[in-house]
Amino acid sequence: MLGTAPVSLASTIPARGARAPYRRPGREALPAPSCWSVLEPLLPKVRKPVQYVGGEHNQHVTAWEAAETRWLLCYPDTYEVGQPNQGIQILYELLNERPTALAERAYAPWVDLEELQREHAIPTFSLETHRPLWAFDVFGVTLPHELGHTNLLNLLDLGGVPHRSVGRSTEDPIVLVGGHAAFNPEPLAPFIDAAVMGDGEQVTLEIDEVVRAFKREREPAGPLEGCDDAEARHELLRRLAAVEGVYVPAFYAPRYRDDGRLQRTVPTEPGVPALVPKRTIQDLEEWQYPRKQIVPMTETVHERFSVEIFRGCTRGCRFCQAGMITRPVRERRPETVQRLVEEGVADTGFNEVGLLSLSSADHSAIGPIARDLADAYEGTTTSLSLPSPRVDAFNVTLSNELARNGRRTGLTFAPEAGSERLRAVINKMVSEADLLRTAEVAFAEGWRHIKLYFMVGLPTETDEDVLAIAELGIRTYEIARRHGHANKVTLSVGGFVPKPHTPFQWAAQDPPDEIRRKLSLIRHAIKDHRGIKVRTNDPEEGVIEGLLARGDRRVAPAIERAWQLGARFDGWHEMPTLELWRQAMAETGVDLDWFSYRERDQHEALPWDHLDSGLDAGWLWEDWQDAQADQQLDDCRWSACYDCGVCPGLSIEHDTGYTGGFSLPVVPSRLGGSDELPSTPERYASGP
Amino acid sequence: MTQRYRIRWTKVGRTRFISARDLTSVWERALRRADLPIAYSEGFTPHPKVSFPDALPVGVSSTGEYAELTFAAPIEPASDLAALSAALPAGMDITTYLEVPDGAPKLAKMLRATLWELAWPPVDQTELGALLSARSDELLAADHAEVIRHRPDGDRTIDVRPAVLALAATTRPGSHARDAYTVLRAVLRNDGPTVRPTDLHAALSRGDVAEPDAVLRCVQGAHEPEGVRDALGGEVEPLVPDVDAEAA
Repeated sequence: MLGTAPVSLASTIPARGARAPYRRPGREALPAPSCWSVLEPLLPKVRKPVQYVGGEHNQHVTAWEAAETRWLLCYPDTYEVGQPNQGIQILYELLNERPTALAERAYAPWVDLEELQREHAIPTFSLETHRPLWAFDVFGVTLPHELGHTNLLNLLDLGGVPHRSVGRSTEDPIVLVGGHAAFNPEPLAPFIDAAVMGDGEQVTLEIDEVVRAFKREREPAGPLEGCDDAEARHELLRRLAAVEGVYVPAFYAPRYRDDGRLQRTVPTEPGVPALVPKRTIQDLEEWQYPRKQIVPMTETVHERFSVEIFRGCTRGCRFCQAGMITRPVRERRPETVQRLVEEGVADTGFNEVGLLSLSSADHSAIGPIARDLADAYEGTTTSLSLPSPRVDAFNVTLSNELARNGRRTGLTFAPEAGSERLRAVINKMVSEADLLRTAEVAFAEGWRHIKLYFMVGLPTETDEDVLAIAELGIRTYEIARRHGHANKVTLSVGGFVPKPHTPFQWAAQDPPDEIRRKLSLIRHAIKDHRGIKVRTNDPEEGVIEGLLARGDRRVAPAIERAWQLGARFDGWHEMPTLELWRQAMAETGVDLDWFSYRERDQHEALPWDHLDSGLDAGWLWEDWQDAQADQQLDDCRWSACYDCGVCPGLSIEHDTGYTGGFSLPVVPSRLGGSDELPSTPERYASGP
Repeated sequence: MTQRYRIRWTKVGRTRFISARDLTSVWERALRRADLPIAYSEGFTPHPKVSFPDALPVGVSSTGEYAELTFAAPIEPASDLAALSAALPAGMDITTYLEVPDGAPKLAKMLRATLWELAWPPVDQTELGALLSARSDELLAADHAEVIRHRPDGDRTIDVRPAVLALAATTRPGSHARDAYTVLRAVLRNDGPTVRPTDLHAALSRGDVAEPDAVLRCVQGAHEPEGVRDALGGEVEPLVPDVDAEAA
């Protein structure tokens, strides 16, 4: 055919052994080749091509030769899901502020582009300059959950990097993972070089320094210049393991009992710690990031300027891994929140502000924060939102304040369990009376739709507890109807997946058939109430998540096999990968029943026992026993410390306004707090 | 006191992959970054008053995009629209503006014709140029030129001919003679049923001309004997580019 473009020779990936020149520090480096010219002509053929082009407001481009260390930060899912992630944006800004470092971003290509990439030898690339993964020093991957594991393997393979750690040399990037799922990295042990648990800010800079020093020493006339490659890489991993909070799986080995249960995971390398601690920053005020947030040119899951108003949560919900592993609570000061929001909205042009945390209504000064921001943006097109799973009237008051500019449409509450007894088990401290009163207030004040979040498959759950979800929904709906015939109630019900470092880490997960049966009980019970909507996920979805959450190193071959069989995007409805996983498990001898559907006892070691989230193992077990005895535990922000172990273990403290001695609206009303916002414009006193 | 401006703007480079659906928020955020008093529609979900006469297909470049912006308060157009241009992503630039007097005809009415450019990479120039010239002449001499447009919801037959006002096959020189791109420039009417460059390619290709490497919407406005007169700026973009002038 006339005018056919010459077959592009594709971006030839230099063979292993010829890549070192691209990786040298600073001006010694050959500039890493961009794959843009090969990629660009292919983009019209793929879905949502703009996700691959970069060039967004606030992206950061540094010349290859201007940096001594080069990081590729990755969220192993599509751009639309991964771009808003705060962790990546924090580290991106921190690293790029460092004069010797460079950081770019990568996301997982959708399957249509992956196919073209494989056909044209286009490696995993950065958005900013379309440089290939293999040329970077560190591949820093955040794992917010377990369903990106196959994507991680795929990105490595596509990027020209051996997907198993043992196959790598000093020519390859260090594969470093962080995020919540990195609190049990054991299923990924053969594939990653290192994992970091906890807050990434400080430790990332320390790792960068280690890599920088190591690279300098490998340069001509440096002490490691002539060092054998395997030894040099071993030396780098040893130096990384010496950074507090960095876990190098290759330096540890699991010991199993004859019955297959884990006995212990022990260090095999001299000098590495038997227990690797998580990292925690004490003062959020010292880390005011991300300030220059990326402004996407296409739709993403959260398009807003987000400010983390505090980190950590001590509500003590026993199912909640995030609440357990991010302790203690550290608040940002209200005046800082206000300033970050105002500067960020002006800089980015976003028309929505998100006040982020695990339970934003719990900030000790949330009343003044919400009011000041609502004042600042009243009458503008800027809207405010905050995620809060709390179920109380204060939440409604707060939502009224935040909705000043908009419509009172939907409110979301998360009672999590249907019966009082089961809420005691999971330590979700809300009574049915509280919930119904909250619904009453919300509908009376003009809200039209309440969404209630629940889980089934919780420990000790009976059919009675499950049916209580339907009953609570019906009662809420009766209130809704009294205030308007068009008012709606939605019950959103998910299947519970037990997670490491929580009191429920010993619990058996419900198999999908059991979840399905429980969901149909609920559906049946509400079938005469057509105004109640029930939303559920496919019960099969928790299967892979559960296996990877609590699996050990013996699960790794199943991940590898599932990926080889074609599993990608395991969290996507569009990609039903469970059958591939079942085949992979069968071929690799992984027994799902044994890993997921079995209750563990106190004497069985857990795969993450050598990874220290700060929580005292004895306390976790005690809390698990309390749960089974329907015993609740108060939040230690407004009642006595119950010795979970985190504060003394990390030598740090809660950093909140609760200790300052002033009266706060946030304390649950039964403990003397109020549901109202402070009526006078008193401001948060400037703190202790 | 509202003020309306019509602008001509570009969408080239990486920004040509921004979909029409995503464009509204890209403009809204740039307007907010530039801190300009754009007017908003009424209602529960107010939208900025930025209107585009039509959508450009994803992946197609353009130096001939237009828009109408309504401001809620007077602006200083020269400096404020320059600030807006700077706030837009690289590749999107405002190149012309014009305040809209009351009673002005609708913008779409002023964009009666489009000058499109289809370019092929530096291969087969002589043969391809000759073939495109011959086919262009045949097309212009014919009464009808039907092509089938393939869509997910079914195939449709389109008559390309009524939309074609002018065609010219030429070359755009590169650094060497052998690097010259083969270029087809076409003036298509905008006021009948939509005919896209892909339809035109289908009509000329008859299965033996590859899809063009790049498609550019050069300018929109009034069809003139020598080319298309820009609806806002008033200059004429010639159908056959002045190669010597470009080279100089």
